[in-house]
Amino acid sequence: MAMRNYDEPVVDAALRRPNIASADIQLPAVRDYEQVDREIAGTLAPSFGWFGALGVAILLFLWGAGVWIYQIYWGLGNAGYAPPVMWGVYIITFVFWVGIGHAGTLISAILYLFRAGFRTTIYRCAEAMTVFAVMTAGLFPIIHIGRPWKFFWLIPYPNWRLIWPQFKSPLVWDVFAILTYLTISSTFLYVGLIPDIATLRDRERNPVRKQILAVLSFGWRNSDSEWRHFTRAYLFLAAFSTPLVLSVHSVVSFDFAMALAPGWHTTIFPPYFVAGAIFSGIGMVFTIIIPIRKFFNLKHYVTLNHLDAAAKLCLFTSMVVGCAYLMEFWVAWYSGNEVEQNYFWNRVFGQWWWAAWIMLICNVVLPLSLFSQKLRRNTVWLFGLSLFINLGMWFERFVIVVPSLSHEFEPWQWTHYAPSWVDISLLVGSFGWFFMWFLLFIKQLPVVAISEIKEIVPPKMRHAHGAHGGAH
Amino acid sequence: MQGMMGVFRELDAATDAIRALRQERIDRITAYTPTPRHEFEEAFGTPASPVRRFTLIGGLCGATFGYWIAIWCSDYWPLVVGGKPIASWVPYTIFGFEVMVLIGGLSTVFGMFANARVPRLVMTVGYDPRFAQGNYGIYAEGSQQQLRSIEDTMRRAGAVEVQGAR
Repeated sequence: MAMRNYDEPVVDAALRRPNIASADIQLPAVRDYEQVDREIAGTLAPSFGWFGALGVAILLFLWGAGVWIYQIYWGLGNAGYAPPVMWGVYIITFVFWVGIGHAGTLISAILYLFRAGFRTTIYRCAEAMTVFAVMTAGLFPIIHIGRPWKFFWLIPYPNWRLIWPQFKSPLVWDVFAILTYLTISSTFLYVGLIPDIATLRDRERNPVRKQILAVLSFGWRNSDSEWRHFTRAYLFLAAFSTPLVLSVHSVVSFDFAMALAPGWHTTIFPPYFVAGAIFSGIGMVFTIIIPIRKFFNLKHYVTLNHLDAAAKLCLFTSMVVGCAYLMEFWVAWYSGNEVEQNYFWNRVFGQWWWAAWIMLICNVVLPLSLFSQKLRRNTVWLFGLSLFINLGMWFERFVIVVPSLSHEFEPWQWTHYAPSWVDISLLVGSFGWFFMWFLLFIKQLPVVAISEIKEIVPPKMRHAHGAHGGAH
Repeated sequence: MQGMMGVFRELDAATDAIRALRQERIDRITAYTPTPRHEFEEAFGTPASPVRRFTLIGGLCGATFGYWIAIWCSDYWPLVVGGKPIASWVPYTIFGFEVMVLIGGLSTVFGMFANARVPRLVMTVGYDPRFAQGNYGIYAEGSQQQLRSIEDTMRRAGAVEVQGAR
């Protein structure tokens, strides 16, 4: 059945086609470069709604920061730890935010190498999300150690203590993996921004802002030589980022898999964590990009075809995650290990049934709706689903962390765990911190990549021998 | 040296101008384009960017350093547990890999900056803000005698505006 619901009027008869779901990158309502510059630069003007959202984010962040100071003063006893459950909301939230940070690099780097065109309009948003999510994640191990001023002990450098980190500890692996990921994803984001900042510089009339943008763009002037080296560097950065994405969450999974707790000590953890991270990140991309395309009037850039393609990726990763959940149960049953079997029974039908079922319903059952093309192209549904995915993926980490520690080998050690108000405040504060940075970003720098969108728009030609696609 | 700056609205007009100028043995040509286009690389016949060498060397140095720091620290402060090796290459591959990506990625960006002569402290001759928006620009340098011929070539190729720049 042919449906015609492109968000903007189709201007070219050749592009007037049935609304076939595809990942193609044609933007029929975008006519020329001047329109791209004008419309995307136009999103930078602040609005009352933006100020309101920023105000809420800052308040949440300040609340979280205040509670952290309270915890530093009174000690970690204010967190809801109940021995032997000495990992709780902070580690759960750390893994949650690292996971969110994975979709950005997947969309910007891996899909770039695979030439998946639908990434072009959403990747900048996802990349910025990655940087801010990793910044948020990085705070939680520091919060968790209770004495944050001793964090630098994890960094290997010549010191008066004459001691070095334990390089066989997964916690030191984390430090290297997360810091590398933060550095490379920030670099990747900034390199991609340079030509766009130059475009803003050339449009800017305020001399002070123009000067700032000139510095930020490093004097970029769009010469053939600059583009030649830029495209090659971008390709290599993408090639480096691709295995990095896979390695970072694998390393995070080692925090668990290297320990001998029931439910943790399993070789499926690295791929399971990576798939979960990508799934949760795509969920957050929907949470962010759908309001942006609506409030910034970018529906003719981030088209339904792009959302449809991203939704298929979401469905695929949901099924991989669902398969991993089932595989965990199978491994426990097949192992013949009574402790493992008992642990998994307790997870789904015992003490933690409610958390496990939130996880299963949000991450496996609800995303099955994306088999419907109609729902994949329904932005209200996608947005609502993305909130459930965020919830489900936070609970996935809860289900990984808490049930294992509260139901270990010795029955006399079995206990209960409930987050305290301090835990919840820091969790809420982390959302404030993340959205504060993200909201500041979207009003200072283009949320859609100007130069890459221009590559999609066919250039003006004197002769009709057509040129499609740039050099990216 | 003096030069002429031509503004082109069409991509093929700009690339035609480059080919024609090169046939006239004008070699000091810079093209400005709002997006990267293969057509310019073809017109110039430029070789592959040397950025890849920076990537390779940076990556190799990073991997070496990553393994070295872990092995050296373990040797300097040995933790002997259960007869297991003091320096174990399997977990240390994580450091080798992560530092390879870190240094390799940063050297790639350094290679891009060094080869593209970025950052630039002042705007160079021949640049016009229109080249970031929708027009293509060609800036060709030549002797006083060649300038007239450069201008004619650009206009023949389809330049909408040609002006002297120095």
